[in-house]
Amino acid sequence: MTAVIEIEGLTKTYGSHRGVIDIDLVVEEGEAFGFLGPNGAGKTTTIRVLLDHIRPTHGRARIFGIETTTDPVAIHRRIGYLPGEFVLYDKLTGGQTIEYFAHLRGGVDARYRAQLVERLDVDPSRRFKEYSKGNKQKIGLIIALQHRPDLLILDEPTSGLDPLVQQTFYEIIREAKAEGRTVFLSSHILSEVEKTCDRVAIVREGRLVRVGRTEDLRDLAHHHVELRFASAVPRAELEAIPGVSELAIVDRTATMRVSGPIADLVRVAARHELVDFVSREPSLEETFLAEYGRMPGTVA
Amino acid sequence: MAGHAPTTPLAGPPTIPLLSRLYGFGSVFGKTLRDSRRAAIAVGLGMGLTLIAVSQAIVSQFATPASRQEIADLVAAVPPIMQGLAGRPVAVETLGGYLQYKYGTFFPLVASLWSMLALSGTLAGEARRGSLEFVAAGPIPRRRLAFEKLVAHVTAVVLAAAAIFVSIALAGTAFATLPGDEISAAQAAGYAVWLGALGLASGGIAFAVAPFLGRGPALAIAGAVTFAGFILNGYQNAIPELAPFADLTWFGWTADHIPLANLFDWQSVGLVAVVTVVLFAIGIEAFARRDLGATSAVPTPHLPRVLIGVRGPASRAFGEILPVALAWGIGLGMFGLLLAGSGRSFAEQLDEAPEFRRILEAVFPGLDLGTTGALLQLLFVEFGFILVGLAAATIVGTWASDETAGRLEIVLAAPLARARWALSGGLAAFAGIAVVTVLAALGVAIGALITGDDVLTPVVGTLVIGAYGAALVGVGLAIGGLIGTGAAAPVVALLTVATWMIDIIAPPLGLPDAIQQLALTSHYGQPVLGRWDVVGLCASALLALGGAAAGALAFTRRDLAR
Repeated sequence: MTAVIEIEGLTKTYGSHRGVIDIDLVVEEGEAFGFLGPNGAGKTTTIRVLLDHIRPTHGRARIFGIETTTDPVAIHRRIGYLPGEFVLYDKLTGGQTIEYFAHLRGGVDARYRAQLVERLDVDPSRRFKEYSKGNKQKIGLIIALQHRPDLLILDEPTSGLDPLVQQTFYEIIREAKAEGRTVFLSSHILSEVEKTCDRVAIVREGRLVRVGRTEDLRDLAHHHVELRFASAVPRAELEAIPGVSELAIVDRTATMRVSGPIADLVRVAARHELVDFVSREPSLEETFLAEYGRMPGTVA
Repeated sequence: MAGHAPTTPLAGPPTIPLLSRLYGFGSVFGKTLRDSRRAAIAVGLGMGLTLIAVSQAIVSQFATPASRQEIADLVAAVPPIMQGLAGRPVAVETLGGYLQYKYGTFFPLVASLWSMLALSGTLAGEARRGSLEFVAAGPIPRRRLAFEKLVAHVTAVVLAAAAIFVSIALAGTAFATLPGDEISAAQAAGYAVWLGALGLASGGIAFAVAPFLGRGPALAIAGAVTFAGFILNGYQNAIPELAPFADLTWFGWTADHIPLANLFDWQSVGLVAVVTVVLFAIGIEAFARRDLGATSAVPTPHLPRVLIGVRGPASRAFGEILPVALAWGIGLGMFGLLLAGSGRSFAEQLDEAPEFRRILEAVFPGLDLGTTGALLQLLFVEFGFILVGLAAATIVGTWASDETAGRLEIVLAAPLARARWALSGGLAAFAGIAVVTVLAALGVAIGALITGDDVLTPVVGTLVIGAYGAALVGVGLAIGGLIGTGAAAPVVALLTVATWMIDIIAPPLGLPDAIQQLALTSHYGQPVLGRWDVVGLCASALLALGGAAAGALAFTRRDLAR
């Protein structure tokens, strides 16, 4: 396979502040690659280096074999980019904004653009400043997608989108992948990456802590469960369930961490008289902390 | 019976130190006052030190009673149209009278500008960027929120006015050399209160309008009212038809309040204060009653589609810059029309002031004082330089907004080289200056036609403001590339003000010629009279083109700001 993105020993610092440290990463052609990490981990810094919006302090990055600082325009010709935060022209309508970016690129298929407008359900006749956050995000997505780029770089793409539009977005990403295009998607939402990506890199405190197949992420997925029984807690039965750990019992309430499928626990609990059942998926931040502690890990 | 959840006795809220409530993060008032500190220091100290410096210069340059009498005679000989935007000449043979006549009239404009910027944005600006959603979600009623922000700004203005009061009182004591030079505390207070009141009145318009229309339109309306009032009041003696309109402005109301010349009209200042309080009340009530951040659109004519500019980076930048350029151009054009149209009145008034005519003929040998060009050269060009400088700052600011607002993240993700973006934007900025210049020249042309005078020479001469504006844009583009686009517009505005200050302060202060020559405006000759100085034009071209090139080059080498 051909590498579309190659990052070697990338470090970016802002004076004494850390951006990213010694990142090595390869994204292959045609894959959807998730770039996961908590807020401030260095995801956006990495993306901005890829776009040559900022320059590496050390190391380098190549896209389509071209070093980002050498010929960024040649790279930009083949990419579509959605920043994590952006502002566009208040006085232009959504349609005019999309049109402007189409002109900047050239070669945009107007029919595909119209399809995107329809599928994402956005009214292009309104001024940009009048849009809600979600609708602004849709305009940004159309700008990134309208020219069918070879590489999509999307920073927190579903931020502000309602669940229905999120589904449409996932469909569009799957279609792009099916057409052989590459997707680099930054997110802090585990489920989003699971739905769309083949491989995942996890970044924390500026360093890569894990790179692997998305399936491997499922190891990370777990639930915090709290069960309140009408009578005594069946401790032995709970301890025997695969994946249950950190079991704590106070009076008739049991709390535990459940890794993997939760079905066995439900079956066991159903044999007893339950007063309450609370299951919570921990945030990515909690998952990271639980999995990697405070110290940076190594690339798997 | 269903019981209520037991109420747990809560510990009282943590005590916030008084100092933090007054200045810091302990209250809305304290935070707003803290946010205003730099502006308050700049205005208070800047104006205060300037007043001290020029006072010292006045008494050393006009050290004898005879020289003072000469000044008084000269000022008395100046026809009304030449007095223009200077103050009313009262007791100009004294330090205070001359200070107020020559410099004191302009300072309320600075205070007004500060208040307008602060009070248009204190709520509306915060609403636009979204932070007001958080502030208003706190346990503070909206009226109190608006009131605290307002009082904090008023406090900052009072502090700046206090610094000005101290400066004047100090100068009036330390530099008083001739009888009548002493400036009493009451006179100094009269000036400081007047300056603060006028500033807050302008800010009051912005504050009252902002909840309805948002920050930008509020600033534009308050600015238009303030500057129109200033110009109408300045020219009402020369053009009597303007007097009824001038009487509608607070500059007109307080025309007889000339405290540094020992003339007081406290009633008029009180009237300004009452109007200001009413405007403040409107602003607070509107903020309390209206939907948070909801503004009504001002019906303005839309640009034709072709001018909106979606074809490429240059046309897009020009589409953003054009409304700004049109606003400045129309304002400058109106000013040019007013002055050029007064050419005949100027000639007649000069005929009635032979003494002053002789002085002008001595200063400008060969100048045909009976022409419109003479009036424009003497009045329009100097003020036009300041206006076009501020126009250049706003145009550069609009160019810079691609990066400062964060749009550049997406724009430069397109296959668009950084240098091309910078140069396209620069080209659009120069085109914006061209629009301003053409509209100014158009106003001058119409005025000259009305007067029936030579049209071509003054119109061509008016292009000098375009050369100056282009030079400043070049500086802005260079700063934008080298340091950051966020610094570009402020540097251009500062350069404009510094150039103007060198023009007006360097001669009385007797600063070395080398410093006076630093002002680009001193190198253009008398272009409205057809006498061009090539040095100024070459320097302008160099700054414009060199600045654009240097900026573009530097921009390709630095990180994008976020």
